[in-house]
Amino acid sequence: METFRMTLKQPAPKRVLVADDDPVMRLLITTILKQQDCEAVVANDGREAYRILQTDSRFSAAILDMTMPFLEGLDLIRYMRSERRLMRIPIMMITAAQDIKLMASSFTAGATAFLPKPFTPEQLQSAIRMLLGNRDSTRRAA
Amino acid sequence: MLFDRSTTDDSRDMHSFTISPMNVVRITNDAVDLDVLNAFQQLQPDDGSDLIVELIDLYLQDASQRIGEITEASAKGEWATVNRAAHNLRGSSSNLGVRHTAEICGELERADGRLARAAVAELIERLKAELVRASELLIAERQRRLQ
Repeated sequence: METFRMTLKQPAPKRVLVADDDPVMRLLITTILKQQDCEAVVANDGREAYRILQTDSRFSAAILDMTMPFLEGLDLIRYMRSERRLMRIPIMMITAAQDIKLMASSFTAGATAFLPKPFTPEQLQSAIRMLLGNRDSTRRAA
Repeated sequence: MLFDRSTTDDSRDMHSFTISPMNVVRITNDAVDLDVLNAFQQLQPDDGSDLIVELIDLYLQDASQRIGEITEASAKGEWATVNRAAHNLRGSSSNLGVRHTAEICGELERADGRLARAAVAELIERLKAELVRASELLIAERQRRLQ
Protein backbone atom coordinates (compact mmCIF):
# COMPACT_ATOMS: atom_id res chain seq x y z
CA MET A 1 0.00 0.00 0.00
CA GLU A 2 1.26 3.35 -0.92
CA THR A 3 1.92 5.70 1.92
CA PHE A 4 1.65 9.37 1.68
CA ARG A 5 3.76 11.58 3.76
CA MET A 6 2.66 15.14 4.04
CA THR A 7 4.96 17.77 5.33
CA LEU A 8 3.29 20.84 6.66
CA LYS A 9 5.41 23.87 6.13
CA GLN A 10 5.53 26.21 9.11
CA PRO A 11 4.14 29.56 8.12
CA ALA A 12 6.66 32.36 8.31
CA PRO A 13 6.12 34.53 11.38
CA LYS A 14 4.33 37.79 10.81
CA ARG A 15 6.74 40.68 10.73
CA VAL A 16 5.76 43.89 12.45
CA LEU A 17 7.56 47.21 12.24
CA VAL A 18 7.77 48.89 15.65
CA ALA A 19 8.93 52.52 15.69
CA ASP A 20 9.15 54.22 19.05
CA ASP A 21 11.86 56.24 20.75
CA ASP A 22 10.65 55.13 24.19
CA PRO A 23 12.50 51.94 25.29
CA VAL A 24 9.71 51.06 27.73
CA MET A 25 7.18 51.05 24.93
CA ARG A 26 9.47 49.07 22.65
CA LEU A 27 9.89 46.39 25.31
CA LEU A 28 6.15 46.14 25.96
CA ILE A 29 5.25 45.92 22.30
CA THR A 30 7.98 43.47 21.35
CA THR A 31 7.10 41.25 24.32
CA ILE A 32 3.51 40.98 23.14
CA LEU A 33 4.56 40.43 19.54
CA LYS A 34 6.80 37.54 20.60
CA GLN A 35 3.91 36.02 22.51
CA GLN A 36 1.87 36.21 19.33
CA ASP A 37 4.67 34.50 17.39
CA CYS A 38 5.50 37.62 15.46
CA GLU A 39 8.86 39.00 14.53
CA ALA A 40 9.41 42.62 15.59
CA VAL A 41 11.57 44.82 13.42
CA VAL A 42 12.47 47.70 15.70
CA ALA A 43 13.28 51.31 14.85
CA ASN A 44 14.35 53.74 17.55
CA ASP A 45 13.01 56.82 15.79
CA GLY A 46 11.06 57.92 12.75
CA ARG A 47 14.06 58.31 10.47
CA GLU A 48 15.23 54.78 11.21
CA ALA A 49 11.75 53.47 10.43
CA TYR A 50 11.71 55.43 7.17
CA ARG A 51 15.03 53.92 6.15
CA ILE A 52 13.80 50.42 6.88
CA LEU A 53 10.62 51.03 4.88
CA GLN A 54 12.57 52.25 1.88
CA THR A 55 13.96 48.79 1.28
CA ASP A 56 11.59 46.48 3.14
CA SER A 57 7.88 46.21 2.69
CA ARG A 58 7.29 42.68 4.00
CA PHE A 59 5.36 43.73 7.08
CA SER A 60 2.06 42.42 8.36
CA ALA A 61 1.58 45.59 10.40
CA ALA A 62 3.30 48.69 11.70
CA ILE A 63 3.07 50.16 15.20
CA LEU A 64 4.22 53.75 15.31
CA ASP A 65 4.67 56.31 18.02
CA MET A 66 3.21 59.67 17.16
CA THR A 67 6.03 61.81 18.56
CA MET A 68 9.50 60.74 17.53
CA PRO A 69 12.74 62.55 16.72
CA PHE A 70 13.58 63.36 13.09
CA LEU A 71 10.33 62.09 11.61
CA GLU A 72 6.95 61.96 13.32
CA GLY A 73 4.54 59.06 13.17
CA LEU A 74 2.08 61.04 11.08
CA ASP A 75 4.73 61.71 8.43
CA LEU A 76 5.53 58.00 8.33
CA ILE A 77 1.89 57.14 7.82
CA ARG A 78 1.63 59.61 4.96
CA TYR A 79 4.74 58.14 3.37
CA MET A 80 3.42 54.59 3.74
CA ARG A 81 0.07 55.50 2.27
CA SER A 82 1.72 57.13 -0.72
CA GLU A 83 3.84 54.10 -1.59
CA ARG A 84 2.08 51.34 -3.49
CA ARG A 85 4.17 48.58 -1.87
CA LEU A 86 3.40 49.86 1.66
CA MET A 87 -0.12 51.17 1.41
CA ARG A 88 -1.89 47.97 2.46
CA ILE A 89 0.06 47.54 5.70
CA PRO A 90 -2.23 48.18 8.70
CA ILE A 91 -0.84 50.86 10.98
CA MET A 92 -1.51 51.48 14.66
CA MET A 93 -0.61 54.86 16.06
CA ILE A 94 0.30 55.10 19.74
CA THR A 95 0.46 58.43 21.51
CA ALA A 96 0.42 60.05 24.92
CA ALA A 97 -1.27 63.09 23.42
CA GLN A 98 -4.75 63.62 24.75
CA ASP A 99 -6.04 65.53 21.80
CA ILE A 100 -8.97 64.14 19.87
CA LYS A 101 -7.78 66.10 16.84
CA LEU A 102 -4.65 63.96 16.71
CA MET A 103 -6.74 60.84 16.50
CA ALA A 104 -8.69 62.41 13.65
CA SER A 105 -5.43 63.45 11.94
CA SER A 106 -4.08 59.91 12.27
CA PHE A 107 -7.14 58.41 10.64
CA THR A 108 -7.17 61.04 7.94
CA ALA A 109 -3.53 60.26 7.18
CA GLY A 110 -4.38 56.57 6.90
CA ALA A 111 -3.95 54.95 10.32
CA THR A 112 -5.89 51.75 10.93
CA ALA A 113 -6.02 51.95 14.72
CA PHE A 114 -5.19 54.44 17.42
CA LEU A 115 -4.12 53.61 20.98
CA PRO A 116 -3.79 56.44 23.50
CA LYS A 117 -1.51 56.14 26.55
CA PRO A 118 -1.86 55.16 29.26
CA PHE A 119 -3.18 51.74 28.39
CA THR A 120 -3.54 48.48 30.26
CA PRO A 121 -1.73 45.30 29.17
CA GLU A 122 -5.07 43.90 28.00
CA GLN A 123 -5.74 46.96 25.85
CA LEU A 124 -2.31 46.72 24.24
CA GLN A 125 -2.68 42.99 23.65
CA SER A 126 -6.10 43.27 22.10
CA ALA A 127 -5.11 46.28 19.98
CA ILE A 128 -2.16 44.35 18.53
CA ARG A 129 -4.27 41.24 18.02
CA MET A 130 -6.87 43.32 16.22
CA LEU A 131 -4.25 45.00 14.09
CA LEU A 132 -2.71 41.70 13.02
CA GLY A 133 -6.06 40.23 12.19
CA ASN A 134 -7.03 43.23 10.21
CA ARG A 135 -5.60 43.62 6.74
CA ASP A 136 -8.49 45.49 5.22
CA SER A 137 -7.56 48.90 6.63
CA THR A 138 -10.78 49.17 8.59
CA ARG A 139 -10.37 52.12 10.90
CA ARG A 140 -10.86 51.68 14.60
CA ALA A 141 -9.96 53.34 17.83
CA ALA A 142 -8.40 50.66 20.00
CA MET B 1 25.01 55.31 34.83
CA LEU B 2 21.74 53.82 35.89
CA PHE B 3 22.21 52.79 39.49
CA ASP B 4 25.04 55.02 40.48
CA ARG B 5 24.13 56.21 43.92
CA SER B 6 24.94 59.81 44.58
CA THR B 7 23.40 61.31 47.66
CA THR B 8 24.75 64.82 47.50
CA ASP B 9 22.61 67.75 46.46
CA ASP B 10 24.80 68.01 43.39
CA SER B 11 23.14 64.88 42.14
CA ARG B 12 20.18 67.02 41.22
CA ASP B 13 22.18 69.09 38.81
CA MET B 14 21.23 68.46 35.24
CA HIS B 15 24.22 66.49 34.09
CA SER B 16 24.79 64.50 37.22
CA PHE B 17 21.22 63.52 37.86
CA THR B 18 21.26 59.85 38.66
CA ILE B 19 18.79 57.42 40.06
CA SER B 20 20.09 54.94 42.48
CA PRO B 21 19.21 52.07 44.75
CA MET B 22 18.54 53.50 48.17
CA ASN B 23 19.18 51.61 51.30
CA VAL B 24 16.32 49.25 50.91
CA VAL B 25 14.13 50.11 53.79
CA ARG B 26 10.41 49.94 53.85
CA ILE B 27 9.44 52.66 51.48
CA THR B 28 5.95 53.92 51.10
CA ASN B 29 4.98 56.89 49.05
CA ASP B 30 2.33 57.68 46.54
CA ALA B 31 4.70 58.44 43.67
CA VAL B 32 4.04 55.12 41.97
CA ASP B 33 0.87 53.11 41.65
CA LEU B 34 2.40 49.66 41.92
CA ASP B 35 -0.85 48.01 40.88
CA VAL B 36 -0.55 49.68 37.49
CA LEU B 37 3.07 48.61 37.15
CA ASN B 38 2.51 45.06 38.32
CA ALA B 39 -0.43 44.60 35.97
CA PHE B 40 2.21 44.09 33.28
CA GLN B 41 3.15 40.89 35.07
CA GLN B 42 0.62 39.13 32.88
CA LEU B 43 2.87 39.74 29.88
CA GLN B 44 5.74 37.98 31.63
CA PRO B 45 7.61 35.80 29.10
CA ASP B 46 8.69 32.23 29.91
CA ASP B 47 12.36 32.87 29.31
CA GLY B 48 13.30 33.38 32.96
CA SER B 49 13.60 37.13 32.69
CA ASP B 50 11.52 39.45 34.82
CA LEU B 51 9.59 41.87 32.63
CA ILE B 52 8.79 44.24 35.50
CA VAL B 53 12.45 44.49 36.47
CA GLU B 54 13.36 45.20 32.86
CA LEU B 55 10.64 47.84 32.63
CA ILE B 56 11.88 49.51 35.81
CA ASP B 57 15.48 49.52 34.57
CA LEU B 58 14.55 50.93 31.19
CA TYR B 59 12.23 53.50 32.68
CA LEU B 60 14.77 54.83 35.19
CA GLN B 61 17.50 55.02 32.58
CA ASP B 62 15.24 56.76 30.08
CA ALA B 63 13.77 59.14 32.67
CA SER B 64 17.23 60.21 33.73
CA GLN B 65 18.16 60.98 30.12
CA ARG B 66 14.91 62.85 29.49
CA ILE B 67 15.42 65.05 32.53
CA GLY B 68 18.90 65.87 31.29
CA GLU B 69 17.41 66.83 27.90
CA ILE B 70 14.69 68.93 29.51
CA THR B 71 17.12 70.77 31.76
CA GLU B 72 19.61 71.47 29.01
CA ALA B 73 17.02 72.47 26.42
CA SER B 74 15.16 74.79 28.80
CA ALA B 75 18.41 76.59 29.61
CA LYS B 76 18.82 77.23 25.87
CA GLY B 77 15.18 78.14 25.37
CA GLU B 78 14.67 75.19 23.01
CA TRP B 79 11.04 74.68 23.88
CA ALA B 80 10.22 72.13 21.21
CA THR B 81 12.86 69.82 22.70
CA VAL B 82 11.58 70.47 26.22
CA ASN B 83 8.02 69.72 25.14
CA ARG B 84 8.94 66.54 23.27
CA ALA B 85 11.11 65.13 26.07
CA ALA B 86 8.38 65.93 28.62
CA HIS B 87 5.78 64.36 26.36
CA ASN B 88 7.79 61.15 26.06
CA LEU B 89 8.46 60.96 29.76
CA ARG B 90 4.79 61.56 30.50
CA GLY B 91 3.85 58.67 28.22
CA SER B 92 6.05 56.07 29.87
CA SER B 93 5.39 57.45 33.38
CA SER B 94 1.63 57.32 33.03
CA ASN B 95 1.80 53.84 31.56
CA LEU B 96 3.85 52.47 34.45
CA GLY B 97 1.83 54.22 37.14
CA VAL B 98 4.42 56.90 37.95
CA ARG B 99 1.64 59.38 38.45
CA HIS B 100 3.01 62.64 39.78
CA THR B 101 5.97 62.55 37.44
CA ALA B 102 3.49 62.22 34.58
CA GLU B 103 1.51 65.20 35.89
CA ILE B 104 4.55 67.46 36.11
CA CYS B 105 5.62 66.36 32.63
CA GLY B 106 2.18 67.41 31.42
CA GLU B 107 2.90 70.92 32.67
CA LEU B 108 6.34 70.96 31.05
CA GLU B 109 4.81 69.81 27.80
CA ARG B 110 3.00 73.12 27.62
CA ALA B 111 5.98 75.23 28.67
CA ASP B 112 7.23 77.80 26.21
CA GLY B 113 8.99 81.15 26.12
CA ARG B 114 5.98 82.86 27.65
CA LEU B 115 6.46 81.06 30.92
CA ALA B 116 8.90 82.75 33.29
CA ARG B 117 12.28 81.09 33.44
CA ALA B 118 11.96 80.74 37.21
CA ALA B 119 8.65 78.92 36.82
CA VAL B 120 10.19 76.43 34.37
CA ALA B 121 13.16 75.94 36.68
CA GLU B 122 10.79 75.23 39.54
CA LEU B 123 8.89 72.69 37.47
CA ILE B 124 12.12 70.94 36.58
CA GLU B 125 13.17 70.83 40.23
CA ARG B 126 9.79 69.37 41.14
CA LEU B 127 10.20 66.81 38.39
CA LYS B 128 13.61 65.76 39.66
CA ALA B 129 12.39 65.52 43.24
CA GLU B 130 9.34 63.53 42.20
CA LEU B 131 11.41 61.15 40.16
CA VAL B 132 13.71 60.57 43.11
CA ARG B 133 10.63 59.65 45.19
CA ALA B 134 9.39 57.36 42.43
CA SER B 135 12.79 55.75 41.99
CA GLU B 136 12.89 54.85 45.68
CA LEU B 137 9.74 52.83 45.26
CA LEU B 138 10.69 51.39 41.91
CA ILE B 139 14.09 50.28 43.12
CA ALA B 140 12.59 48.74 46.24
CA GLU B 141 10.12 46.88 44.02
CA ARG B 142 12.96 45.81 41.76
CA GLN B 143 14.94 44.41 44.65
CA ARG B 144 11.89 42.69 46.11
CA ARG B 145 11.33 40.91 42.81
CA LEU B 146 14.94 39.83 42.52
CA GLN B 147 15.07 38.30 45.99
